Amino acid sequence: MNNSISHLCFFQSLPLIILKLDATQTHRVYYCCCIIVLTLHFPPPLRLTQRMSAADADMVAQLSLLEIANLLLAKLLSYVPSLPSHGPIFELLHHAFYEAPAYHLILEGLLVLSILWLVVRKSDKSKDKGPKLTAKEVEEIIAEWQPEPLVPVSGPEPVVVPVVQGPAAAFVQIDGQKKINLASFNFLNFVGNKKVEDAAVTSLKKYGVGSCGPRGFYGTIDVHLELESKLAKFTQTEEAVLYSYAFSTVASVIPAYSKRGDILFVDEAISFPLAQGVLASRSTVKYFKHNDMADLERLLIEQQREDAKLAKKAKLSRRFVVVEGLYANTAEIAPLKRLVELKWQYKVRIMLDETFSFGVLGDHGRGITEHFGISPEDIDIMTSSLEHAVGSIGGFSYGKTFVMDHQRLSSQGYCFSASLPPLLASAALCALEAMEKSPDMFTTLRSRSKAIHAKLSTALGRHLVVSGDASAPMKFLTVKQTKGRAADEALLDLIVSKANDKNVVLTRARYIEDYERVQRPPAIRIALNIGHSEGEVENAIRDIAAAADEAAKAHSS
Amino acid sequence: MSGDEASSYNNPNEVWLHGKGAWLAYILLLVVLRLAFASVPFLSVPVSFTLTNVVHNMLSFYLFHLMRGTPFVSADQGESARLTQWEQIDAGAQFTNTRKFLAAIPIVLFLLTSHYTEYDPVLFAINFVSLCIVMVAKLPQMHKVRLFWFFGRKFVDHEK
Repeated sequence: MNNSISHLCFFQSLPLIILKLDATQTHRVYYCCCIIVLTLHFPPPLRLTQRMSAADADMVAQLSLLEIANLLLAKLLSYVPSLPSHGPIFELLHHAFYEAPAYHLILEGLLVLSILWLVVRKSDKSKDKGPKLTAKEVEEIIAEWQPEPLVPVSGPEPVVVPVVQGPAAAFVQIDGQKKINLASFNFLNFVGNKKVEDAAVTSLKKYGVGSCGPRGFYGTIDVHLELESKLAKFTQTEEAVLYSYAFSTVASVIPAYSKRGDILFVDEAISFPLAQGVLASRSTVKYFKHNDMADLERLLIEQQREDAKLAKKAKLSRRFVVVEGLYANTAEIAPLKRLVELKWQYKVRIMLDETFSFGVLGDHGRGITEHFGISPEDIDIMTSSLEHAVGSIGGFSYGKTFVMDHQRLSSQGYCFSASLPPLLASAALCALEAMEKSPDMFTTLRSRSKAIHAKLSTALGRHLVVSGDASAPMKFLTVKQTKGRAADEALLDLIVSKANDKNVVLTRARYIEDYERVQRPPAIRIALNIGHSEGEVENAIRDIAAAADEAAKAHSS
Repeated sequence: MSGDEASSYNNPNEVWLHGKGAWLAYILLLVVLRLAFASVPFLSVPVSFTLTNVVHNMLSFYLFHLMRGTPFVSADQGESARLTQWEQIDAGAQFTNTRKFLAAIPIVLFLLTSHYTEYDPVLFAINFVSLCIVMVAKLPQMHKVRLFWFFGRKFVDHEK
């Protein structure tokens, strides 16, 4: 009986044995074996009875659980009196206080204190939580709270825009008056084009209004694929990726390729959508002065020096130069030839936004690459819009297939937006066909732009300055003798309203000033349209000049 | 457990460390390590205990403070790919329960070891140095600090 109970106790007190770590070596091996035996023969009391003598087994079987527990406790307690002479805890304490050197005791004391400090110390996280409030206090705080107005009480006057009846085509109906439209980006006069309209209506009758899903999720319709292959053919690239909105095209293409830790060399004058893409990429951004290739080269050399220091990191990060073909904010053309030279010299990639240059520059309207005679293969990623020259809605990115294909799974605007309504794709297809058929429209647009640039400069020279590239179809008119931002804006607004009275529709270039890196000077932005005859435009220029004279007189008095 | 964190997502590389089960498993692994050394017949108690302590500290130093990166994809655009496991815990908050537990373990282990080594000066020195290495690495002051060239490239904080 004694034997079996001690066996029982032995197995039950295994946790004690594990703690009793200073046993002899043979004991230690034995303990390990015991643990294995214990795990194999679980539950131990039942199995043990089989190995005991019949009498002992009977006796153990007759014991109640409480009695077994009492026996175990008694056995365990029998160790306690043995502590002062030779128990492990005694040895430990004896060691600590009589045999350990003093430095050891001090160190251990400190370590124990450090554990206590760790336990007591509050987490940095708990600081943010603030005090716990009772339900009453919470209600008091809620009652005290006064919401701020959703919109500022005072602020800039809301922009009053004329209401247009019918399409915003070359000529618009405002208050029943037919007026010449120099405010919309409709360079090739596809907005209001009867053929394009008919194509859209036919498509609408065939497919309905929406596409009912993103491109990768039941939203792809044959006209999308047709338009993509047409765009690729038109731009002479391998593949085009169609987006449902021009803004989201470039704003999602940039973050699709450039991530945290990558480096973007960005022109200071980039337009708002590009700036949003740059922001969303979380990349390291380095700005160079507008169209200043020397400044860009300085940044690239600087980067090269940094890379030499951190070669391993440099290998992992991508670098892109972000530019526009024709700048929306300045109407200047990017020096693409020099950019391509720099690209090969400093091993960077080029992201080129052709929102305004597509359908404008080049003899076939292919954009800035055609304008400079550069192969599209030299540009890594290009984006463009169907909303400006093409006169539909949507955007697209184009380039090599292995680069473009990445967007179909990684570009937010492509993956998570419902695809372009088929009727708009059909309208764009129709416009592209027209662009292919009669490339003379691009030469007309360019020669018209140059002529009008000179005429504007002479007619408005007294009060306004015409800026931007001469061949660009949009012109920025800024105040010649500036009297501060607010005064200039008031003057320009006055010119716009006086011109409106003379049946010329103009608009001021508007910006979200808080989001612009470099503030643009207040300007009137004129957008040309090949739908206007030369005589009509000349009349309009005369009217603008007269409006400017009147406004300047009214403003100074 | 990490729902009250400042970050809006859970970093799959560290959330498992908050669980009490993970803590228990840690202690049990430590016991297994101790028993493994104890079962080697020719090792004396002080040596086997020292081995337990040093191996534990080396392993934890490698896993928590040297190795960087994320085996699982985290939702932070690769920000934590440049952090050690220790730096990723609780999105960088200091003195959280997990950190306290992980810091207390080597101290307790050292205390046990120093008793079972019977205050042998050589073994004490070895154990103490290994304790210092892991404890210095756990200091809040060492957060995102890279000391030597062989610990990898300099840390550049893009947040700043």
